[in-house]
Amino acid sequence: MTEPDRTRLPIRRESFQGVANRTLAGSQPDWNLIGHPTPPAGAPNVLLVLIDDAGFGNPTTFGGPIQTPNYTRMAEQGLKYNRFHVTALCSPTRAALLTGRNNHAVGFGSVGEFAGGFPGYSASLPRDCAPLPRILRDNGYSTSAYGKWHLTPDGQQGPAGPFDRWPNGWGFDYFYGFLAGDSGQWDPCLIENQKVIGTPERFYDEEDPYYFPDAMADRAIEWLHGVRGQETEKPFFIYFSTGCSHAPHHVAQTWADRYKGKFDQGWDKLREETFARQKELGVVPADADLTPRDAAFPAWDDVPDKLKAFYARQMEVYAGFSENADSNVGRVIDAIEELGELDDTVIIWIWGDNGASMEGTVTGSFNEMTMQNGIPLTDEMQLQLAERFGGLDQWGAQIMDPHYGAAWAWAGNTPFKWGKQVGSHLGGTRNPMVVRWPKRITDTEGLRTQFGHVIDVAPTILDIAGIPEPQIVDGIEQEPMHGTSFVSTFADAAAPEFRTQQYFETIGNRGMYKDGWWLAMKTERIPWVVTPDALKPYAPGVWDPDAGPAELYYLPDDFTQAHDLAAEHPDKVQELKDLFWEEAEKYKVLPLLATLSTFFGILPPIDQKTTFEFRGDVQNVLSGMIPRIYNHSYAISADLVVPEEGAAGVIVAESDHLGGFTLYVKDGKLTHTYSMMGVFVFKQVAEEDLPAGEVTVRMEFAADEAKPATGGEVTLFIDDRPVGKGRMDHTVPIRFSAYAGMDIGRDNGGVVDLAYEDRKPFAFTGTVKKVVFDIKPHLVDEDERVLHAEAHRGIAAHSLSG
Amino acid sequence: MAETTDVLIGGYLSADAAKEDYEAVLACGARLWGAVVVSKDMAGELSIEQTDHMVEEGAAGLGGVGFVIGLFAPPLLAATAIGAALGAVGGKALHHKTGSKIEEAAGDTIPIGGAGLIVAFKHEDAGSVEPAVTRAIKKVVGEAEGRHVQALKGALADAQTKMAEQGG
Repeated sequence: MTEPDRTRLPIRRESFQGVANRTLAGSQPDWNLIGHPTPPAGAPNVLLVLIDDAGFGNPTTFGGPIQTPNYTRMAEQGLKYNRFHVTALCSPTRAALLTGRNNHAVGFGSVGEFAGGFPGYSASLPRDCAPLPRILRDNGYSTSAYGKWHLTPDGQQGPAGPFDRWPNGWGFDYFYGFLAGDSGQWDPCLIENQKVIGTPERFYDEEDPYYFPDAMADRAIEWLHGVRGQETEKPFFIYFSTGCSHAPHHVAQTWADRYKGKFDQGWDKLREETFARQKELGVVPADADLTPRDAAFPAWDDVPDKLKAFYARQMEVYAGFSENADSNVGRVIDAIEELGELDDTVIIWIWGDNGASMEGTVTGSFNEMTMQNGIPLTDEMQLQLAERFGGLDQWGAQIMDPHYGAAWAWAGNTPFKWGKQVGSHLGGTRNPMVVRWPKRITDTEGLRTQFGHVIDVAPTILDIAGIPEPQIVDGIEQEPMHGTSFVSTFADAAAPEFRTQQYFETIGNRGMYKDGWWLAMKTERIPWVVTPDALKPYAPGVWDPDAGPAELYYLPDDFTQAHDLAAEHPDKVQELKDLFWEEAEKYKVLPLLATLSTFFGILPPIDQKTTFEFRGDVQNVLSGMIPRIYNHSYAISADLVVPEEGAAGVIVAESDHLGGFTLYVKDGKLTHTYSMMGVFVFKQVAEEDLPAGEVTVRMEFAADEAKPATGGEVTLFIDDRPVGKGRMDHTVPIRFSAYAGMDIGRDNGGVVDLAYEDRKPFAFTGTVKKVVFDIKPHLVDEDERVLHAEAHRGIAAHSLSG
Repeated sequence: MAETTDVLIGGYLSADAAKEDYEAVLACGARLWGAVVVSKDMAGELSIEQTDHMVEEGAAGLGGVGFVIGLFAPPLLAATAIGAALGAVGGKALHHKTGSKIEEAAGDTIPIGGAGLIVAFKHEDAGSVEPAVTRAIKKVVGEAEGRHVQALKGALADAQTKMAEQGG
């Protein structure tokens, strides 16, 4: 068989080399016809691991406080890269990683939820940018992905697809994970390939509960064994993308308790300790300086003594969660080793996709969604809300969706400034990377200091596999990858820099790197603050990006960005500013702040659909796909068949007790419960029993006014007869949940009303024929426009937490 | 010199926090006219804990203290509602013989998951009582001349007014 043309995908089938006569007489078969593409000889397996929302100073491998023995094992048998860079936001890094192209150029200037109207922000992969898994698959690799995806637009995550934006569409033979930016680890609403399979049955097993990180490893190993049971030679590509360490920080208490007391010294001291270890390990140069704390983060000494245990526990749980991720990656590595293929597997393991996340705000939160919904809560309030759900021992359990305080993230990004969302500084852009491949890497325990970027990974994998970048895919001419292979560094610590220039941009925070110089242009907005006042300076016609602060660093002499040289080198500042604009134009970064465009009146058309109908067997409607009842009057009606003996159970439920609603029947009474992010819970109960037979029930919410989080009156009806009422002083303005789904006829996963928690999923014992949502437009068009704008600002705010 | 009665109202987002302050108040060494903590769990079950040495005549005249509701305004402050709710039931809650009435009133007004504390004490003891209440999200102290029905009523009303003035 001749070597196929791999520059055009799919690889063309072999032409028939046999003979096909009218009958079998004299016909000669060509058995190559039933083969499939195979990779070039010697193409190794690839395990690509990406940890979420973690910082340079988190793992012990890079001097951090979190035990990562498997990461260290890989580093000891391979190489550490200490000048590797990401994009400062979730989806953009993933898009760049899997396409080998700059994130804006492939539509991911922001996250999957935010599908904007500019080319760099469409959240829709262009067909002229075929991604790595597609290329590998078409070249004969078995491909699979596990964990977080976050590359599918919010409104396209249901059974209607389109599926070219799901993992299978990107080239993965198999996917097991979640599409959103984060997920509960105890109660995820899962996807398997192209089906939303919801929360696993083992969630209900209290003795041996489901845990997603374990299941990720289980599934990866099971898939691997299946592949090897069928094909012993076919190389695999596994993309193992943990939900850890993104919020919610879910982990068993035993893991968190390993760190009991380890963070009582606070974040300021932790940074100093980490920095010292980083120097000892050599991952930070001996002459580097630790950057100071910004005023946006409180000093540990200023934290009231009564709250120190609360803050310390936040970090203990995060650390235990992260160590667990290391352990589960280790299980996958062990399984590869057990197959005897470890040395024929390239392992690329990136610890963090955007630095550690500061989105827990200064206080941290018992529920990550309180920040996104704009609910201001002090640390004492957060502590009390945690106590409401079981206290600090439960921080990490399914009962909460916790996120730690921003200063812990800053400590996790030691020795750098800032963190996630801040593309102008290394806290958000520089993450550890380890590469192991004994076949080509013999300088074990080596350190590599070349400047690299996440776009360089895909070209490196193709280089290793001997597969060329395709020029044509599905008949479409391809945009060349923007990354460069760094294979040259495997054998040579002194290999020349393979990347001498790179732009960075995340939500207006810009960085321009060239030949060691880095121009940092950060907006003055604190990353977790998206209030109108905070955004006012960035309005169209007001903001002049070139007039903002610009810091200049020379990284070869200043590893941490500690010494601003802008005043001494104004020409260099101007040169890099000009270069940034050139790159921004070239890679579709413009217009700057497109991610926040909805805050400035640039909105998609108002959706005219106001009625949504679900038949009784619909389950697991993902959180971004539910009818958008927020900030409106609305009605939920249901046609039921109630048996003579009566019925009980859930008619419709969205999400869980940390934000959601449920309409259910218990003790014969129609009941509506609404959780405003677990901070407020409102309940209305019918005053009469639900009758038997064909029954229509309805809840109506009459909003007080056209404004976000409006209160209003609730009325319950049975067959159009009012049977109960109550008031909800506040409603959820933006989004109930980042991950939990809506179900008809039951309440899958965590339940909304803890009054029926012991009967979960509390399936309805009668029949739910259908449920109809009727969202009432506001009477005044201007009100509708205002609420439309608010809704999309909410989506943008949610996006910032990707 | 006339005696002055103080009433402290504390609002909480968790029963644990309210009980912690309740215990601290009981242990602070001051003579209390009474203290009560009312909480509602996430399933909506109400719990009431109170001292048993109330001035009996104190509560009888307080039923007329009006509900203070509708004080919410963004930014959202849950504790305000709780404080207001406690204020609403305070007239009843300050009497140990009115437990069922407390339940009736608090059942309507204490938010699910919320809790509140009301403490009545001599003004001279404020220096001991008030510092003991460290976890209230919202804390106000009202005062009135005297020590009996009218004083308690006046102090409670004063506390509610201050709660409203604090923004909800």
